[in-house]
This record gives sequence, C-alpha cells and structure tokens, in this order.
Amino acid sequence: MIRNEHDEARELIALGGDLSENEHGRLLAHLRGCKSCSDYAEAAGRVARALHSLPLAADSSLVRATQLRVRARAMELQQQRERMRLVFIACLFVGTSAAITTPLLWRIFTWIGAWIGSWTGTTSLVWQVSFAFFWIAPALTVSAILLARGAHWAENKENRWR
Amino acid sequence: MEPECATIARGLRRGDPSLLDRLIEQYQHQLLRYLIYLSGDRALAEDLFQETWIRVLERGHLYDGKHEFSTWLYTIARNLAIDYFRKKHPVSLEGLVENEQCALPEPADPQPIAWEILAQKEQGERIGAALAGIPTEYREAIVLRFYDGLTLEEIARVTGAPLGTVKSRLYRGLNMMIGQLGAGLGEDRT
Repeated sequence: MIRNEHDEARELIALGGDLSENEHGRLLAHLRGCKSCSDYAEAAGRVARALHSLPLAADSSLVRATQLRVRARAMELQQQRERMRLVFIACLFVGTSAAITTPLLWRIFTWIGAWIGSWTGTTSLVWQVSFAFFWIAPALTVSAILLARGAHWAENKENRWR
Repeated sequence: MEPECATIARGLRRGDPSLLDRLIEQYQHQLLRYLIYLSGDRALAEDLFQETWIRVLERGHLYDGKHEFSTWLYTIARNLAIDYFRKKHPVSLEGLVENEQCALPEPADPQPIAWEILAQKEQGERIGAALAGIPTEYREAIVLRFYDGLTLEEIARVTGAPLGTVKSRLYRGLNMMIGQLGAGLGEDRT
C-alpha cells in the first residue's frame, strides 16, 4: 500500500508539473511526509534543470542553407502549379473542342469510310477502328509523356535522399 | 495562441516563403535539438532538419491551425526520422539504441568563463551519455517534456502513443536518467 503511494507520487513527479489541481495537492501532501520521494523530486528537478542548461544550438549556416532550399523548393512548386494550371486549361479546351467536333468527325469518317468501301470493298469496321485510333491517339501520347515525366520526378526525389 | 496558429496555417496554405523563413529561425534550436536526440547524430539531424522544412512547405496545407505548430512540426520531423531509419536500417526507432550505440553530441561551447566552461562541458557530457544510454522512446519523451516543454497531450500527439504510455515512458526514462546520473549531477550554477 505504502509502496503504491510512493510509486504514484514518483509517477506524478515524472510528469514534470503537468498535473491537475487534485494531483498536485496529493503530491504535495505526500512529499511533506516522505523524505525519499522529496529526494526523488529534487533529483528529477536537477535532471530537468541540467537538460535545460545544455546549450545545443543550430548554427546560422544551417539556418541560411535551409531557408535557401525551402525558397528554391517553393519556387519549384510554384512552377509546377503553373504547369498544372496550363495542363488543366488545355484539358478543358481539348474536352470542349472534342465534345463539339466528335459528331462532325464521326460523320466525316462515315462518309469517307463509305466512299472508300464502295471502291475497295472494306467493311465499316476498318473506318470505325481508324476513327477510334485517331480520336484516342493524342490522349495516349500525352499520357505516355506525363508518365515518363512522373517517373523522372520520382527518381529525382529518391536521389535527394542518397 | 489561437490567432498565431491560424496565421501560420493560412501562410502555409499559401506556401509563403517569408513565413517559412521566420518559422525556421524561430524553431531552429528546438527542432535541431529534438532531431539530434532522436537520431544521435548531428550530421544526420541537420539533413533531417532541412528535409523537415521542405516537408512543411510541401504539406503546409495539411496543418489545420487548431493545435500548436510545434507539435505538428515535431510530428513531421519524427516521421521523417522513422522513414530514414526504416530505409537505412531494418530496425524500428525503438530499437535504435539497442542496435547502434548513439554517440550524442557534446553541447556547444558556453560563454567564456573558464571554470564554468569546464563544469558545463563536464555536465553536458554526463547528461549526453545518460541520455544516450536510455531507449529512444524514453529519451524522446524526456527531451520533449523537459527540454522543449511540450505538454503530455502534445507529446502523445507527436509520438502517436496513448497518454498512459507517454506517462510511463517519462517515468521510466526519468528513473533511468536519475539512476545513471546519480548524485553526480551538481546543482545548476546559472
């Protein structure tokens, strides 16, 4: 029972003053009557003061270098955001123009397909596949470029840690 | 406190470089100290210090401004340190001390009063050795509580450990420190 009181008091001491009023009152009451826990509190206080007295400091060159790196990275991010904005605008433009031109393009392909078919005897499947390829080719090209760039960025990021 | 956190959060969302400059200066010593005690290596701590601020810039929009900025900063620094050790050594942060004897740095030179320099250097070495000798998770709790003055809730948030675990780490860590330093720790002369 008594041992538990000591343990509880020492656990409270170890919290370094982050105590509720009730805990604080209980601890003070215990310390008034317990020499060993008072000694423990004193030793804990000495450790805390000693820790505070350690003058470990960052030097100004580290701070300056960090600030420069952060500013450079901020600029990079800003440029990336600008690029993404351009990509977004381009996508919007492409999407809108595709929505408008696709029906027209389909009609043109139908007409050309029928015309070529009447000469060569090819089925309508040929011009339908051609249309699909013609329609999707730009998106595939852009995706491939973006994927390659993405892999390049990831590799660069990885190298920063080496 | 609240408006300061909110201002920081707003500035971080904008990626404001001058705010970051100010924060780097404000938290330089605190953050570096924490990283040195966490990693046990000043050069590594300096690398992590820089990476932490880059991460703050990149993830600034995630800081909500409801909690202390320092708590969020320590969390980022801690996660980076854990990532680093996971990549370099297949051990957990908790196993760091057991797997490699951390040589904690000596403190920087204090003001030039001969006997004080000697006494402080000696005391710094003793404290450094005592800290190096305790498991990392206890050392981290001790440094955050007694060195940086974080509350128990803040330490719990930084370390991702329950409050009860933080309390027990502090208790055990302090016991180990007292045990190692014994009566050799003189009163603070400053």
